Amino acid sequence: MLYIRYIEVGRGCFVRRGADVGKSCVVVDLVDQKHLLVDGPSSGVERKVVRLNQLALTDLKINIPRGCRTKKIRTELAKDGMEAKIAGVSLNRKHVAKAEKAALGDFARFKLRVAKTATNRKIRSTVRKLKKSS
Amino acid sequence: NTSPTKIISSGINAEYGEKMPVYKMTIFAPDEIVAKSRFWYFLRQLKKVRKVNGEILRQTEMSNTSPTKIKNFGIWVRYDSRSGSHNMYREYRDVSRTGAVTQCYRDMAARHRARPHSIQIMKIETVKAADTKRPVIKQMHDSKIKLPLPHRILKYNKKSIFVADRPSTMQ
Repeated sequence: MLYIRYIEVGRGCFVRRGADVGKSCVVVDLVDQKHLLVDGPSSGVERKVVRLNQLALTDLKINIPRGCRTKKIRTELAKDGMEAKIAGVSLNRKHVAKAEKAALGDFARFKLRVAKTATNRKIRSTVRKLKKSS
Repeated sequence: NTSPTKIISSGINAEYGEKMPVYKMTIFAPDEIVAKSRFWYFLRQLKKVRKVNGEILRQTEMSNTSPTKIKNFGIWVRYDSRSGSHNMYREYRDVSRTGAVTQCYRDMAARHRARPHSIQIMKIETVKAADTKRPVIKQMHDSKIKLPLPHRILKYNKKSIFVADRPSTMQ
């Protein structure tokens, strides 16, 4: 099928808006076409109804029956390290990185700038060298 | 948001020792004060007792049973349209009675332009999936339900309002 990511029971998602931003969770049930019951026992998302647009879907899916209990979700997530996989999805990592960057202090930002200039200088000099030699 | 409150009242102006009838109602209202008001409104219609002659014995907010289990609610409504009064049976899927009743009020306003004061929730019941009537509700009763998100448009932040390439809506 063209679409890989379906909204379905067991779909791993992460919350992009709302109270639990950046946390991963699993779809447990569908209320209607715009609301889902999600649960993230290991990531601290309590079992609740969220709107579809609060979520971003991942490629990962676990095998749970519709409307199953939190305990079962926890055990299924523990299998194959699914929990770590869902949390480690690139979307989530980007979000975490963004949050870290926003939380940098002034000195940290200075250090970041120094490191960036050094890296860029190295890259540019290498490119120049390669251009000259070709 | 509506919250169901149980209100019990009895008549005052009674002779000492005389047993006054006690009435109990479940009212869906946004707060306590509105709940009391609606209680008297309904009670007046049903029994010959007014706020002046009555006394509220107890008002408690009812808690929602199983707030993480999705249920189908059948709501019997009576509402006043511009030309008359009508009964309706409506169905909603929600996690709580209060959520379903809130949905009902919003829905009635949207579909029938009915204002809250002209809506009376006569009865609300949890309905088993097999007994639901409305196709909108029945379509969710699929154990292997799945929805794609074709052409997903998320609200982009103001930063990227002009971009070189159109954003991908693939999910």
